Amino acid sequence: MSKVLEVTDLSITFDTPRGNLRAVNDATITLDQGESIGVVGESGSGKTVLSRAIMGLLPGTATRTGSIKYMGKEISNLPEKELRELWGTGMAMIFQDPMTTLNPVRRIGAQLTESLTVRLKLSKKEAHEQAIELLRRVRIADPEGMMRKFPYQLSGGMRQRIMIAIAVSCKPELLFADEPTTALDVTVQAQVLELLSELRKEFNMAMILVTHDLGVVAGHTDKIAVMYAGDVVEMAPTRELFKNMKMPYTEALLKSIPRLETPTGTRLPVIEGRLPDPTKNEPGCPFANRCPYVADKCRAEKPPLKDTGTGHLYRCWFPIGGEK
Amino acid sequence: MFKNFLKKPIGFKLSALWLFAVLFITVTYDLFPFAQWDAISDFSQGDGPFKVPGHILGTSYDGMDMFTATMHGARMSTFVAVVSVIIGGGIGSGLGIAAAYYRGTFDKVMSSIFNMILAIPNLVMSLALISVLANGNSNEPASDFRRVLVLTISLTIVIIPILGRIARSSTLQWSSREFVLASKSIGTKNLEIIRRHIIPNVAPAILAIGFFAVGVVMIAEGSLSILGIGVPGGASWGSLLAIGRANLEYSPHEVYIPVACIGFTVISTNYFGDYIRANLDKRESKI
Repeated sequence: MSKVLEVTDLSITFDTPRGNLRAVNDATITLDQGESIGVVGESGSGKTVLSRAIMGLLPGTATRTGSIKYMGKEISNLPEKELRELWGTGMAMIFQDPMTTLNPVRRIGAQLTESLTVRLKLSKKEAHEQAIELLRRVRIADPEGMMRKFPYQLSGGMRQRIMIAIAVSCKPELLFADEPTTALDVTVQAQVLELLSELRKEFNMAMILVTHDLGVVAGHTDKIAVMYAGDVVEMAPTRELFKNMKMPYTEALLKSIPRLETPTGTRLPVIEGRLPDPTKNEPGCPFANRCPYVADKCRAEKPPLKDTGTGHLYRCWFPIGGEK
Repeated sequence: MFKNFLKKPIGFKLSALWLFAVLFITVTYDLFPFAQWDAISDFSQGDGPFKVPGHILGTSYDGMDMFTATMHGARMSTFVAVVSVIIGGGIGSGLGIAAAYYRGTFDKVMSSIFNMILAIPNLVMSLALISVLANGNSNEPASDFRRVLVLTISLTIVIIPILGRIARSSTLQWSSREFVLASKSIGTKNLEIIRRHIIPNVAPAILAIGFFAVGVVMIAEGSLSILGIGVPGGASWGSLLAIGRANLEYSPHEVYIPVACIGFTVISTNYFGDYIRANLDKRESKI
């Protein structure tokens, strides 16, 4: 299996008036063809920045170090002009809020055929046919009618399907889905995720699914990376992670998902406290102040990323269930 | 289309009719059997409107038919205003959109240039430009064509920063929207993004201010004519006004008529600008 993506020691810092803000620290992620990884973490943990950085869509105030290889080719230092050749046909992205990612003044048809005519150089007629086919793929009833509609005439779920259709229109090798279901109704979330998984298998795309919801990634990814305060704190194949959780943070995330079995009136468990200030570089484990199992060593020294040898990596001095 | 028009407020109808009439006469003036517009009548001098047969709007103190002169004046006034707004608006919006989209040094330079031009009162700048570029000398005054050309250019320069800043601020607002990033992420080139995503969203704002600008330019042209450096010889409304001013005591309609024409036109363009802007706000609250 060939590697679609190899990210090594990727760090991202933003130059802000309050000082350097470290958004991502030394992230290392690899992805095979057709493989999908879920990136999970709470708001502000750096997961969106990570995915945008890999794609090269960060604003100019960001500095990147480390290496990003796409199909074995280093892309972290390519100028935007050459990256643009990859965007759409190599890598594509689905954004969080479908209410803002469609241009309000242009018809769906015009926006859907944009990538087809601009990138694939199809004629207008071919692009139209291809667009109808795509709409059918993302299960839109009456694709012909849809082509003439404006975004405000559609529901959130519909719009997200359109965005998915646009993202996969050039058959990318690697698809970023940045919280694709966060802005949607619960009832629609499952459908959209199901659609994504289906398309991924059909086109043999690798996928990076960014979300704050462990439940979302559970059924739709091959492996999971948990992020906290810019660090990848645990990474494991999905099954292994849920079966054999090592990080107290991952456990806390899982506990804070509401469950139906708990009696009415039970308080929802939350992770107390807040993320550490990303502009300060304090010693120790960044989760120490919120961790139920904290020990003195945690406050003094930051744990390294340890490998159990089975592809399960974690960053903790005292992992749940012991060292092995 | 026509049914829609009937449903509009009365101000909209009147403004639309007036602007249409002005544009119509501007375009079709040559098709009408008008007499030479500055021909002098032998029988009537300085008579008010509706007094002398054959001169509906009366005659000037010198005996010029006011109706023909007004129709002819519409052409020059509209031409100067519309041409300078279209050219100035085109250049200004282009620069403004590019500045806001690409940011960086280009943006800083463009913004400073816009602010520098805006800091000079526009009448003073037009005055300066015309006196330098179209002065001629006492023996050989500059040609009328040259004066109108320089006048139009100077008004264009006034318009560029006004519309440039509108385009810039509007583009800043739209280019940070997610759909621009989304379009970028499928590999659309910057110029294509501007054409497909920025311009359609920025255009209504520019159009609204463009209408205001037509009014501003028309008044500026009138003011310059009164100062004696605008369109020469009564060929525009402002110019008619400048000539009529001397005879205010004897034939006041010589002033009222061009003033009313300029006034109605400015009110109409302002109304239109407001109307577009109100609809724009309504639309924006929807999306």
